[in-house]
Amino acid sequence: MIRLLGMLASVAKKEVRQTVRDKRMMMLLIVAPLIQLFVFGNAVNLDVDHVPTVIVDQDLSHESRQHVARLLADGTLEEIARTHDTEAAEHMLVTGDAAVVLVIPPGFGDDVARRRTARVQAILDGSDPNRANVAAAAIATYFAGESQRVQRERGVALASTQGFAAHIPDVVVDSRVLFNPTLDTAVYMVPGVAAMLLLLITTIVTAMGLAREREVGTLEQILVTPVPAAMLIFGKVLPFAIVGLIDFGIALVVGSTVFDMPLHGSMPLLICATLLYLMTTLGIGLLISTYSSSQQQAFLGGFLFMLPAALLSGIMTPIRSMPSWLQPFTMLNPLRHYAEILRASLLRGAGLTDLITPMSILAVMGAVIFTYASLRFRAVTMK
Amino acid sequence: MSAVVIEDLHRDYAEVHAVRGVSLAIEPGELYGLVGPDGAGKSTTIGCLAGLMHPTSGSVRILGEDPMGRRSTAREHLGLMPQEYSLYGDLTIAENLWFFGQLFGLKKKVFMERRERLLGITRLGRFEDRRADALSGGMYKKLALSCALLHQPQVLLLDEPTNGVDPVSRRELWALIYEFVADGMAVLLSTPYMDEASRCHRVGLMHEGHIIAEGAPGDLTDGLEHEVAEVIGGDRATLHGFLEGRDELVAASPAGERLRVIIKPGGSATLDAALAPLGASLRRVPPDFEDLFLARVAA
Repeated sequence: MIRLLGMLASVAKKEVRQTVRDKRMMMLLIVAPLIQLFVFGNAVNLDVDHVPTVIVDQDLSHESRQHVARLLADGTLEEIARTHDTEAAEHMLVTGDAAVVLVIPPGFGDDVARRRTARVQAILDGSDPNRANVAAAAIATYFAGESQRVQRERGVALASTQGFAAHIPDVVVDSRVLFNPTLDTAVYMVPGVAAMLLLLITTIVTAMGLAREREVGTLEQILVTPVPAAMLIFGKVLPFAIVGLIDFGIALVVGSTVFDMPLHGSMPLLICATLLYLMTTLGIGLLISTYSSSQQQAFLGGFLFMLPAALLSGIMTPIRSMPSWLQPFTMLNPLRHYAEILRASLLRGAGLTDLITPMSILAVMGAVIFTYASLRFRAVTMK
Repeated sequence: MSAVVIEDLHRDYAEVHAVRGVSLAIEPGELYGLVGPDGAGKSTTIGCLAGLMHPTSGSVRILGEDPMGRRSTAREHLGLMPQEYSLYGDLTIAENLWFFGQLFGLKKKVFMERRERLLGITRLGRFEDRRADALSGGMYKKLALSCALLHQPQVLLLDEPTNGVDPVSRRELWALIYEFVADGMAVLLSTPYMDEASRCHRVGLMHEGHIIAEGAPGDLTDGLEHEVAEVIGGDRATLHGFLEGRDELVAASPAGERLRVIIKPGGSATLDAALAPLGASLRRVPPDFEDLFLARVAA
């Protein structure tokens, strides 16, 4: 037993030596995650604002100018041009310079002043549905509010001419946002990005590390020694599990200091979940290596797994908005469960009892993948 | 008990029959050479012996044990130096030795002693902090040999140990191998160089997955029933055309300024007579291993 542990330790030590000596590897393990965390945290922004808008004001009245100025004031829409030519404005939609064309037809100010129904037209570029929805909603909300105000004023005026005070009933929605009161996307994204980074690092590095031993020929020399395959595998993945934990720590520090991400959950729970998750990602890396005869193949295999895993994780897009036949498949995605745990725990302070389901799924998944991959590794190496 | 026993070993890769019925035995203190061209099945035979691949049929035994067996201790007694690069290029000589010492579970004191001895006899001690990928071909092979010898195996398998090694280092490697054989180690080595066959105690001539001749190198060449001769005199171009059509001939190849010919048993008299009108004659020379191989392959 002591002898086995000694073998395990020396494989791990050798792995650390090689990794530390490999500058590119160190970049990939420590520096790249930092950069990605910053880039993703800032760039992956689901808040829609500054939608480029062309104003076609054919009315040129005091009213039209005033309404446009008030509509633009909240920053959702941003005026990039003002023209009288509808065709030129529509062409800007085609080129992508503009996403919204707002047309104020002639007589708009007149209609408002004479208390007639006034019309404005919004032409939207629907190629980004989310942005189009937000822009349409912003315009509709503004003018609905205006209509309501006008109606209210008229109601009050009418009542006073009749000689009584007006009581116009209304329902007011008082919403309060918990956990992320400023609705900041970065706070929501950082735990997801951290989960993806761990996957990237541990899966691809493990797959490539084992593929390298095979490719270079060192695996043969190891296999003629009495070291059992299990010790070899554990020794090789152990350092990267530790690197994974370190990167997890970095993500938490960057998330909380740079992006004001709250750290509500209990640390032991988070570390435990991270270890379970790492078992699945390292197992997948090991599995990929058994299908690869070179480092290149392992690298490509890693990406082949990463892309669908990231897309079907619920990190970028909610799982509920995926097609219903696709949704059950996301249950097989360790990234989904881990991202769920991270968000629930970090942002909402969920505890073990709340997270027992995703935790158990990760544990079972990790054990199955790791065992299967180890068995396959042994079968493939012994030709 | 023989140190290595192979019985009727077959090994196929998909469509290729790499080894087709090899049997051999090697005794402790014996240096056995598997000699044959590339693709003869030498590396596959060694791979099966090292427990790196399963035989398709037949059996291999190291000190009576199946190297593939689950409880087998064969690996404790087996050293392998693979043909390809098998050490960590980004680790130093000292680190490579340390790593493989650990994998063999050597105690620190034992490891240090053996390490000093191996670094001494390979004269690699001065370079112990040099990375393995910065070593010359010969130094690299000596390091690989040292890594394979750390646990003092009773059986050593060397797959083309002298391939890509300069002549000086090659001599050193042979000297090292002899030293260990003298201590009672059973060594099996493969080589594509026919001239190295004579350095072994016993040789198996391998061709297309079979051992086509086996024995002590001297006995094998002495026992060759074919005759080997050099053609003296005559015009070389004419001779070459003339010899090509002769039935007595097994092979003709240029050797320096002359042609070296291998003649079927009993064919030299007629060939000599046929050569006389061209102003040429035969001079018998002792057969070497290449002649033996060519004669056996032709048979």
